[in-house]
Amino acid sequence: MIKVIKSGLYTSIQDNGRYGYRNIGVPSSGFMDQHSASIANMIVGNNKNESLLEFTLMGPTLLFNNNYTISFTGGDFELMINDSKIEMYKPINVKIGDILKVNHTKSGARGYLAVSGTIDIDSFLGSKSFFKNITRSNYLKNGDEIKVLRKKKNKNFYNYESKLEINNLMNAFKGPEYYLLDKESINKLFNDEFIIGLNNRMAYNLEGKIQAKLNSIISSPVLPGTVQLTPSGKMIILHRDCQTSGGYARILQLDKKSINNLAQLKVGVNIKFKLL
Amino acid sequence: MEFFVYSEDSILIKFSYKTENKIFNSIFSVKKKIELDFNKYITDSVQSINSLLIIFKKNKISSEQLIKEIKDKGYKINFNKLNGKIWEIPVCYDPVYAKDLEEFSKSKNISSSDLIKIHKSKIYDLLSMGFLPGFMYLGQTDKQLHCERKLEPSLDIKKGSIGLALDQTCIYPQDSPGGWHIIGVSPLNFFDIESKSPCFAQPGDKIEFVEISIKQYELMKKDRLLKPNFR
Repeated sequence: MIKVIKSGLYTSIQDNGRYGYRNIGVPSSGFMDQHSASIANMIVGNNKNESLLEFTLMGPTLLFNNNYTISFTGGDFELMINDSKIEMYKPINVKIGDILKVNHTKSGARGYLAVSGTIDIDSFLGSKSFFKNITRSNYLKNGDEIKVLRKKKNKNFYNYESKLEINNLMNAFKGPEYYLLDKESINKLFNDEFIIGLNNRMAYNLEGKIQAKLNSIISSPVLPGTVQLTPSGKMIILHRDCQTSGGYARILQLDKKSINNLAQLKVGVNIKFKLL
Repeated sequence: MEFFVYSEDSILIKFSYKTENKIFNSIFSVKKKIELDFNKYITDSVQSINSLLIIFKKNKISSEQLIKEIKDKGYKINFNKLNGKIWEIPVCYDPVYAKDLEEFSKSKNISSSDLIKIHKSKIYDLLSMGFLPGFMYLGQTDKQLHCERKLEPSLDIKKGSIGLALDQTCIYPQDSPGGWHIIGVSPLNFFDIESKSPCFAQPGDKIEFVEISIKQYELMKKDRLLKPNFR
């Protein structure tokens, strides 16, 4: 069992997400940065889609009530076990009574903590990923206890030489309403830089305008990575917890790599778009 | 039908929007056919008023190949065939629960009873679901009911509430904040998370509202397994 002493800024349990229910309004959810999360799982010998802990900007403090093998990937978080520093991208053995403190991140926004084995919580509609109104809570709270079913067989563990690469260039396909943009807006879209504003697991607001007075559309399907243009001329990039349809013009669609990448960018960072 | 590559693992099929209600029914039948014929590739498909998003396994097929194979099937758009079910949804229009009914009818210069009559006189298309899991967008309402959303959203809309906004009416599957004018409430459960198919209805189906009294509402509300009739 792992006890949450301090939950951090926004810590949740995520796996690869929910599939097959978007038509009835259920978002996909799942790892914000699928690439980093799958590496965390592979280091401790799990299936790459196994559920794990995702934290944002400021991580949790956890008490281990059993011996586990764990791993960390993603943003450059400062990690301490009983006051000694530990490294990311390596399997780490923790013992009963160890206290792990995940401080804030120097670069990157999201971190992943995988535990060798399976987190024992209920799955809803095929996924353990936290989401309001689907799972019992949408984030971990102080005092929560996380049960882990350890694997019986000895697993192979791996070290990963790779580190998180953060890229400010967002590669995108043309969205269904791209054709509504005028020439000047298209110029701005690919030449200007846009600052990341308020964001969460649902969406990233961008500062900076490209075109005003583009009308709303008939409510239509959207996906994580869809770049919407609001009538005010500002853009919103949808992410894993986004709704399944929206009424704003869909001008671009990020590729899968860029969606993962975006999950690691903090408020105030500049991004640029490039057409694929 | 117009095909569009949406992302590495999704395509969008657009349907022209000249005769909206008829087009809507045919999207449902095309969706069902694609799900059946391409079952091994497809992970999800989302229907809206004039389009269909297909999400597929990109390690099994490319978007270009999937588009080609769907085109090769030569699906006919069948305007008149109705495949969806018609669900009878009990609604209590009593002002105790219909918080905005009186103010709304005043603003429209019609009596509450006329407003109820207009609302329940039509069978609505379940256009799409979103906003909340199981939240139903239903259209189109009679012109007399068209309206903007409330200027200030209500913070405590009750589960089962029936709302009005723009040219649509909706059902809230759970307690929620929201900007629709609330004119009634249904005692049914619209989203059951414990079930493999959490909603009884799906986009492409139709909804008919049947008026019940406040007494009936409170009685039916106690029956957690109550399911609506359909035809």
